[in-house]
Amino acid sequence: MTLGIAGLLLCGLAISAPGAVPRAFPFAYEQHDFPNGLRLLTIPDDYPNVVALYIVVQAGSRNEVEPGRSGYAHLSEHLMFRGTKAYPPQKYESILQAAGASSNAYTTDDFTAYHTTFSKEDLELILRMEADRFRNLHYSLEDFRTEALAVLGEYNKNSADPMEKLEEVIRDTAFDRHTYKHTTMGFLKDVQDMPNHYDYSLLFFKRYYRPERTTIIVAGDVAKLDVKGLVEKYWADWPRGDFRASIPQEPPSHGPRVNEVRWPTGTLPWVTVSFRGAAYSDQHKDTAALDLISFLGFSETSDLYQKLVIQEQKVDVLVADNPDRLDPYLFTVWARVKRPEDMDYVKGQILGVFDKFRRVLVPAERLEAVKSHLRYRFLLSLDNSESIAANLAPYVALRRTPETINRLYEMYSQITAEDLRSMAIKYFVESGRTIVTLKGAKSQ
Amino acid sequence: MKFFLAAILMIASANLPAQIQFVTRPSRSPLVSFRIVFLTGAAHDPIDKPGVASLTAAMLSQGGTRQMTYKQIVDALFPMAVSVTSQVDKEMTVFSATTHIDNLETFYRLFRAMLLEPGWRGEDFERLRDEAINYLRVNLRGNNDEELGKEALYNQIYSGHPYGHNNVGTVSALQKMTIADVRAFYRDHYTQDGLIIGIGGGYPPRLLERMKEDFGVLPQKARPEPGWYEPKLHRGIQLTMIRKDTRAVAISLGFPIPVRRGHPDYPALLLAQSYFGQHRMSGGVLYEQMRQLRGLNYGDYAYIEYFPRGMFQFEPDPNLARRSQIFQIWIRPVEPSTAHFALRLALYELDKFIRQGISEGEFERSRAFLSKYVNLLIKTKSAELGYAIDSLYYGIPDYDTYIRESLSKLRAEDVNRVIRKYLRTTDLDIVIVAKDCEGLKRQILEGAPSPMTYNSPKPKEVMEEDKIVDRWKIDVKPENVHIVSVDTVFE
Repeated sequence: MTLGIAGLLLCGLAISAPGAVPRAFPFAYEQHDFPNGLRLLTIPDDYPNVVALYIVVQAGSRNEVEPGRSGYAHLSEHLMFRGTKAYPPQKYESILQAAGASSNAYTTDDFTAYHTTFSKEDLELILRMEADRFRNLHYSLEDFRTEALAVLGEYNKNSADPMEKLEEVIRDTAFDRHTYKHTTMGFLKDVQDMPNHYDYSLLFFKRYYRPERTTIIVAGDVAKLDVKGLVEKYWADWPRGDFRASIPQEPPSHGPRVNEVRWPTGTLPWVTVSFRGAAYSDQHKDTAALDLISFLGFSETSDLYQKLVIQEQKVDVLVADNPDRLDPYLFTVWARVKRPEDMDYVKGQILGVFDKFRRVLVPAERLEAVKSHLRYRFLLSLDNSESIAANLAPYVALRRTPETINRLYEMYSQITAEDLRSMAIKYFVESGRTIVTLKGAKSQ
Repeated sequence: MKFFLAAILMIASANLPAQIQFVTRPSRSPLVSFRIVFLTGAAHDPIDKPGVASLTAAMLSQGGTRQMTYKQIVDALFPMAVSVTSQVDKEMTVFSATTHIDNLETFYRLFRAMLLEPGWRGEDFERLRDEAINYLRVNLRGNNDEELGKEALYNQIYSGHPYGHNNVGTVSALQKMTIADVRAFYRDHYTQDGLIIGIGGGYPPRLLERMKEDFGVLPQKARPEPGWYEPKLHRGIQLTMIRKDTRAVAISLGFPIPVRRGHPDYPALLLAQSYFGQHRMSGGVLYEQMRQLRGLNYGDYAYIEYFPRGMFQFEPDPNLARRSQIFQIWIRPVEPSTAHFALRLALYELDKFIRQGISEGEFERSRAFLSKYVNLLIKTKSAELGYAIDSLYYGIPDYDTYIRESLSKLRAEDVNRVIRKYLRTTDLDIVIVAKDCEGLKRQILEGAPSPMTYNSPKPKEVMEEDKIVDRWKIDVKPENVHIVSVDTVFE
């Protein structure tokens, strides 16, 4: 099935007729489903010579359902660079090198993305090689054990950052059953135990690296290339899988919950306040409303930021995040406090903002400024083929189509001050609250 | 790569003796990118005021103007989703921003005022000075052992030199700094003769004339130059160990090189570096030997140009052009028990590289890689402008053309010549961030074997090579090893 979706394209820019509502994702694209469930999104643009390829697999640390096996989605990402019989790692590398390609991958809660950027003449070569490793990955026990150490090395290099530790503790405190309880990196004890579970790594790959969970995004100078034909040629006989993961559902929270991290060296203290949030949706108002609140309440232009960072100067970092996740996740505010004695004050100020959203309607002009910000921010981010594909990847992981972006931005435009208040009443409740703080060994 | 032919305009008419230089990259994009570069930076900090260049730039990009408070500026920029960022390196200070054409007029008025009519408010100064101190103490010293090690390495190599302090300064100097200091720096260093205006995208041509006129209010006079000399070469291996309560061990090492863009040996040395340790790619020798075969850490790379924030990005930021660069090896954090072996292995691989050089096949592959990879560095209009400005600084053609054309003339023997000429395993600086510095120091000085144990069988060649590596002599004299507490670094 091919869906030709008309976009408005003039030299890669959105030009809309007077009065028309501009689509948030301004590029024309083609969406094609192969019989094995694989989906291809082709986005020709006007940036010359370069092609960005993103292969998005709907498998992340959310899928790590067995106890003691956290971190295997991320480990699988590493193992994908251990090659196949046809393309052992050195051959794979030398081909990428000869193509001048930039290649990497990342893993999140919900998905894993493999990305390569290269010159357009190498498209067939790269698609062929990628198809081979997605279907025929082959690594020995020895390779596996060595790669597990590289993952531990990654844990090690992250471990110097207190924010990484905070995230571990926030999740562990806020969730009881859902796999969002652990970070994508996994529990340290599971990472250290990885070298002993070669067979499980094979099972994880077999379950999840399947066409019906995979979307290929090709963006760039491809208007004259037969992308669909090439994907058909190399990917069409990849067999469909049938595994259904049973992700544990999180029971209602009976908070509030608190936790504290003691950091072994000197660092500035942190206060974090989280509430159970919403699962991503482009059909209901929850995601859009909470996104808007995160900017209204805590961005640089918010009253709280102006007070704590600019005027009183008690805080030097203040951010909120409401990440898009398949299942309900967390709306979290992070504040780095300059003096430990101000931690309680800062916590009170943050809670006061949440409370105010429940009681007071946001002024219309503030709401419009945030909507404008989001619209332009997205447009400004689409300034090259790689970022077009990179911006699409998380949405494709959620809904497998760029249309979800248009629906989400349409939803933003419809949200009213009353919607924000009713969502605040729904989500900013004590039972769903988790507060985690971090203190260094000494104040600086 | 370009929609239109690149144009580098030098505007220097008889009526306007000031030499503002323009670098333009027009296109039909709905986005407009600015890169405003002043040829000044941390190398121009007065000797008793390290950090003043950086704080001055922060006062412009994150402070108010004469007419508007910082809050008013943030509120005005917010609906356009534009942010003005500044980056200060040794020789360059850049202010960059990209706006949608819908908002060009509103944004440009703000941007112009931010750069030309700074407000110099006390509360902005206090906040930004705190931010700078916290960057050094918390972000760098506290939270990022890798960047800490790399930045400390630069300080050590350039000790006593205009490049010898962190771009953000030192904590004690920042604590004493005043608004008068940043105002004086702005007055003396933000001048027309050191200004390069980069603009790209779908801007109207008349904007150039307007900017020429607007920025013409800056003083025309020449900036004071810092006293310049080549960094002195350290004799023997100098080892600094930074004691910190941390899980893993971060290691960086390097030495100054006289090669920079435009130097006849730059393309050959770039190729050598790419083959030996291309940043964040899995094809390099170091990566292959240390991570891929032995699982020592997350990755290992080599550099011939300054590349800060490498743990967060794949491509370097432009406008970090320097008169002097170093060759550097970055060993990502290793388990403490393998730190001695990892350092030995990196030095062994470097030694082997110098002795054996690069084969014809490896040369051809690296050349093919770089000839195409250079396209990917210049993905955005802003990056294209940044590279063009750097090319102006170094006196070379556009970077992609420069690299492709130089590589096409290169031979493997040229690369092997520069490897032998510039790379070495003696007379270098090493910085290690670790918890048990005393123990590691003892191991290194004693030079006892540091055999590896692996969790899986290794190929025979690896095991044979390990027998050489685990006895590799790191020829460092006890008097050249210095252990410092992390609290003293950048103070």
